[in-house]
Amino acid sequence: MTRICTIAQIVWLEMLRKKDLYVLLILLGALLMVLVSLNIFGLGSVTGYIKDIGLLLTWVLGWIMAVSVTVKELPREESRRTIFPLLAKPITRFELVLGKWLGAWSIVCVATLLFYALVALVVVGMGGSLSLVALLQGYILHCGALGMISAIALVFSTRMNSDAASTLTYVLTLASFLVVPKVPELMARERGMWADGLLFLYNALPHFEIFDLRQRIVYGYGPVGLKTFVLVLLYGAIIVAVGILVSWMAYRRKRFKRGAMGQ
Amino acid sequence: MESAIETCDLTVAFSTKSGPVKALNGLSMKVDAGQIFGFLGPNGAGKTTTMHILLGFIEASSGTAKVFGTDVRQSIARRKIGYLPEQPDTYRFLTGRELLSLTGRLFKMDKKTIRDRTGKLLNDVGIAEAADRRIGTYSRGMMQRICLAQALINDPDLVILDEPTGGLDPIGRMDIRKIITELRDQGKTVFFSSHELSEVELVCDHIAIMARGKIVAEGNAAELVPEGKSLEKFFMEVVGDSGSAGGAAPGETQGL
Ligand SMILES: Nc1ncnc2c1ncn2[C@@H]1O[C@H](COP(=O)(O)OP(=O)(O)OP(=O)(O)O)[C@@H](O)[C@H]1O
Ligand SMILES: [Mg+2]
Repeated sequence: MTRICTIAQIVWLEMLRKKDLYVLLILLGALLMVLVSLNIFGLGSVTGYIKDIGLLLTWVLGWIMAVSVTVKELPREESRRTIFPLLAKPITRFELVLGKWLGAWSIVCVATLLFYALVALVVVGMGGSLSLVALLQGYILHCGALGMISAIALVFSTRMNSDAASTLTYVLTLASFLVVPKVPELMARERGMWADGLLFLYNALPHFEIFDLRQRIVYGYGPVGLKTFVLVLLYGAIIVAVGILVSWMAYRRKRFKRGAMGQ
Repeated sequence: MESAIETCDLTVAFSTKSGPVKALNGLSMKVDAGQIFGFLGPNGAGKTTTMHILLGFIEASSGTAKVFGTDVRQSIARRKIGYLPEQPDTYRFLTGRELLSLTGRLFKMDKKTIRDRTGKLLNDVGIAEAADRRIGTYSRGMMQRICLAQALINDPDLVILDEPTGGLDPIGRMDIRKIITELRDQGKTVFFSSHELSEVELVCDHIAIMARGKIVAEGNAAELVPEGKSLEKFFMEVVGDSGSAGGAAPGETQGL
């Protein structure tokens, strides 16, 4: 565990000391601007609108951060040749892969917490109200979804450069976000091979929609039942575990390039 | 005597677009504990590849490799190893001191031991004054030194150095030689590759010369080179016109 945490800590230190952090600050600022400008145009009186837009932005930004932070980690170790001194330590490649995921995911979760706090502050500041329990549940489930996105990004980053890995992760996760929830509706209209294909997609792609409590928070439906909440988290944990396992299998016997400077 | 490194009939092939390249071609060797072992050979002979196998970065196509009796494919084999790669690089966003203490944690060392080792090593490699600066601001030689320090953080019994003096100024080279002899005095095993034959002659107990993926000459540093010859001349002779790896010319084992 010490080793996994140390690897995660290095991910954190790099994030804090490189420009990546400024990107986060700019995103936060942009989010704030959008929320406040809504108020200027008079829409702010409907705090539900703020919640809606604020949470949507939080999901979009969290999604982008989870992909962009995770896909860089493994390819970067290789391109700057730090993979060699690192693997010369008594760590296993499984510990490396797990530590990288843990570091990236925890960064994104903390950043997302800041987004949630910001949205809540603006809503409350403008006289609106929020169910704290539902918001907390929404945040925790959101973290589950971010863990899944990170795990998918990690899988792709084991065997390709970060650009290719991020493109593939965006495509796969966006398809899951947008297509999967619509599949039952589409299936009602299709038959034969098409229906089978859709059914396969429905089962194979991750279900992000069950992690999305935005409607409940915005319309004040209150928190979900504990059993459902735990089952959804369990589903997320399984997807993450599968992702990390697949990453490890892809990374386990990888031969690394010696780097641009020749041999 | 216990052997620090033992390899038996190692073969490694890299697949490339123009067909497989045999980097190691039946490499068998033994490094006794406590030896300063100089590992020579022309460019492309397979020295770095051998080290990568010993550290578990790549798996051999056939053959076995052990470090202090432990198969190198097990991660615990690396607990007693310190490694300096060729053209070393490390996390430039950390300070020298941070790098050493994080590295110590990868070995699960306790806080006090890490602090003591870090202080000593920063002094030994001569970058104590720059210890709290970001590594990104270091010169190439300083980078080499901090990487050497992180290789030694765990007080390793076996130190594997891939061209440790490459890119260093004369003072740097002398410092490295001093560190190597200090390691010997502490009873450590040092396995290092180098193209600096004079340097090898100065510090090594034992020398092996590699060409085309196998050992072509090996022996005690004092006895390997026939009387009246320089190591350089001898090197040219045993390596012959083989050039780089991949050639099929058979190399005969001399010495030993
Ligand atoms: N990833 C790789 N793919 C293809 N061939 C490789 C790869 N890595 C090494 N080789 C080949 O293996 C052979 C041995 O290389 P290696 O780096 O071990 O030599 P070396 O003795 O360390 O040389 P140098 O003195 O130049 O550092 C070379 O022919 C090299 O081209
Ligand atoms: Mg080399």
